[in-house]
Amino acid sequence: MDRNNLIKWLKEPKKMGNKYSLWAVYFSTACGVIEVPPVLTSRWDAERFGIIPVATPRQANLFLITGYVTTKTLKAIIRTYEQMAEPKYTIGFGSCPINGGMYWDSYNTIKHLDKYIPVDGWIAGCMPRPEAIFIGVTKLWGMIDKGLATGYIRYRENYDYYRGNQEKLFGSMEWPPLYTLKEGTNDG
Amino acid sequence: MDKLVGLLKGIFKDTDGESLGKNRLRVTAPRGSVLAVLDYLKASGFYQLKSISCVDWMDENEFELVYHVASMESPLHLMVKTRIARDNATFPTAIPIFKNAGIFEREIHELFGVEFEGNPDLAPLFLENWKEIPPFRKDFNMREYVKETYDSIPSFEEYQWQKEN
Amino acid sequence: MKLAEFIISPILAFIIGIFLMGLSRRIMARIHRRYGPPLMQPVIDLVKLFSQRTVSHGPIFDIGVILSLAGTIALILFIPFGGMCPLEASGGLLVILYIMLFAPLGLALSGGEGANPNISIGISRKFILSLGYEVPFILIVLAVMTYYHTISAVDVVKAQSSFHWALFSLPLFLPGLAYILIIPAMLGIRPFDLASAPQEISSGPMAEYGGKYLALAEIEHAFSIFITIALFVDMFLGGSGNVVYFFLKVLVVFIIGLLINAVFPRFRTEQAVKFLWKWPSVMALAGLVIVLAI
Repeated sequence: MDRNNLIKWLKEPKKMGNKYSLWAVYFSTACGVIEVPPVLTSRWDAERFGIIPVATPRQANLFLITGYVTTKTLKAIIRTYEQMAEPKYTIGFGSCPINGGMYWDSYNTIKHLDKYIPVDGWIAGCMPRPEAIFIGVTKLWGMIDKGLATGYIRYRENYDYYRGNQEKLFGSMEWPPLYTLKEGTNDG
Repeated sequence: MDKLVGLLKGIFKDTDGESLGKNRLRVTAPRGSVLAVLDYLKASGFYQLKSISCVDWMDENEFELVYHVASMESPLHLMVKTRIARDNATFPTAIPIFKNAGIFEREIHELFGVEFEGNPDLAPLFLENWKEIPPFRKDFNMREYVKETYDSIPSFEEYQWQKEN
Repeated sequence: MKLAEFIISPILAFIIGIFLMGLSRRIMARIHRRYGPPLMQPVIDLVKLFSQRTVSHGPIFDIGVILSLAGTIALILFIPFGGMCPLEASGGLLVILYIMLFAPLGLALSGGEGANPNISIGISRKFILSLGYEVPFILIVLAVMTYYHTISAVDVVKAQSSFHWALFSLPLFLPGLAYILIIPAMLGIRPFDLASAPQEISSGPMAEYGGKYLALAEIEHAFSIFITIALFVDMFLGGSGNVVYFFLKVLVVFIIGLLINAVFPRFRTEQAVKFLWKWPSVMALAGLVIVLAI
């Protein structure tokens, strides 16, 4: 952990700020959220790494998707994700968002979350232990450091792919597109 | 327990009762007298409708509706069963007898397609943008649907590869 | 020299406020038997928040945040601390009473543009709460002004020099105690954090703030922590001509408030107003009557 590295702070304050101040949005999709309270409270104390839960997506920059995602939940997830301030990071937690898990053949549970919103990292397991969240966050730090955690840029640049998949599932959606739907848009 | 079956048989000629273990009782009634049986049971103390379930007997071309009723005073658990036709299935609502029947009927309407006459709210509950036949019917091909809806979408890497080539 | 004070005093106040915010998270963590974030955590958060891409909801949304921050910074210029008081000759405590309402008003202004129902609920709770604590606060300030026959904050501090602290003098003991009771309400911390309850109304007035707006709101919060406690130190603990001594006094009072924050659950709106109008108001009124009788 290079949180006290002053030279690095002066060199790239943006990156370091994003690394050590991850605010996770309160959003619990399924059973996985039972692992989150011990992480945030006294037992594992995520606040010592600057991770705190916040109540509104506007303030958050970390999105933990904890467990299987039904189509109805996916709608709320997309809404929440689009409201978060950039740069934003997503972590899929548990095996269900990765490939469907035990809901492989379900008619109402989506199988691959990264076809609908970009996901920066995965924590596999059913359920992962709270320590796994810390491992995931440490990996995310490394990714931010190397500039690999670019899910939000991917979302912006390939918005017609993601929006197309969402519309295929929901039909017409009741909120307007976040970015302009055009091939090859890139406004930095 | 046998007394109750006897009573029911005395009042409703075409019902049939059978004991399933210590505290469980199955009552089979034809379509027409189910609501009357439920009404009678409620009057005699079984005032709690626990659930309504539906079974799809595809080979016999019938749906089976099961009303689970119980009472707080006795440990008895009653199942009132009835068979209805599978094609264009309709059934009168049980809301006048048990108010909470509305939500169970809404769920069965969504997942099996049984139309409950007189239920004011049969809007979709769980499904989003559903265009197929109701998913809990036996002739609904779940694997085909999953393949078509979720697996047919190219993953992001495939999409990028397609775009470049 | 006077001009330099205009710049130095807000900066010092900001540093003290940010330090207190970091310290509060650390002490809370220790009370919860956690390790806690580093003291610099609020600064890290501010760096991140300023680097984020933010969504605006219109010009009034921007102006409201800036107005509330500007009001708070203006307020600091009226408060004597560490021998500095840039605007000592312009109204003193009376003006402080007025400008203290600027910050919630600015938040309300921008909340109206935010058009989130949680904001409206949070703003209305905040105003009801400030209705609750303004009554004892005005009575306390009146008692102090009557006792020392002045409206100038600097003169109040001067009158308490060489350890004639108002908190330990007979007529002003009750108002001082009342002020300690309303400090959590003025800071918006537990048990009076009903305006920004994250669990009920998703942080209330802050619901639509993200990125730079939230950063400005955090800075405003750091300032208001400092102002509330500095006023107490000035009026009841004799202020100080030395910044270090002043800071130590602020620290002691803040930690008392923090311990209350750490162990109490949240009041409901009507419970909060009931409490504020009962105990602190009666104590402040009794203090005012004693002062007038002497």
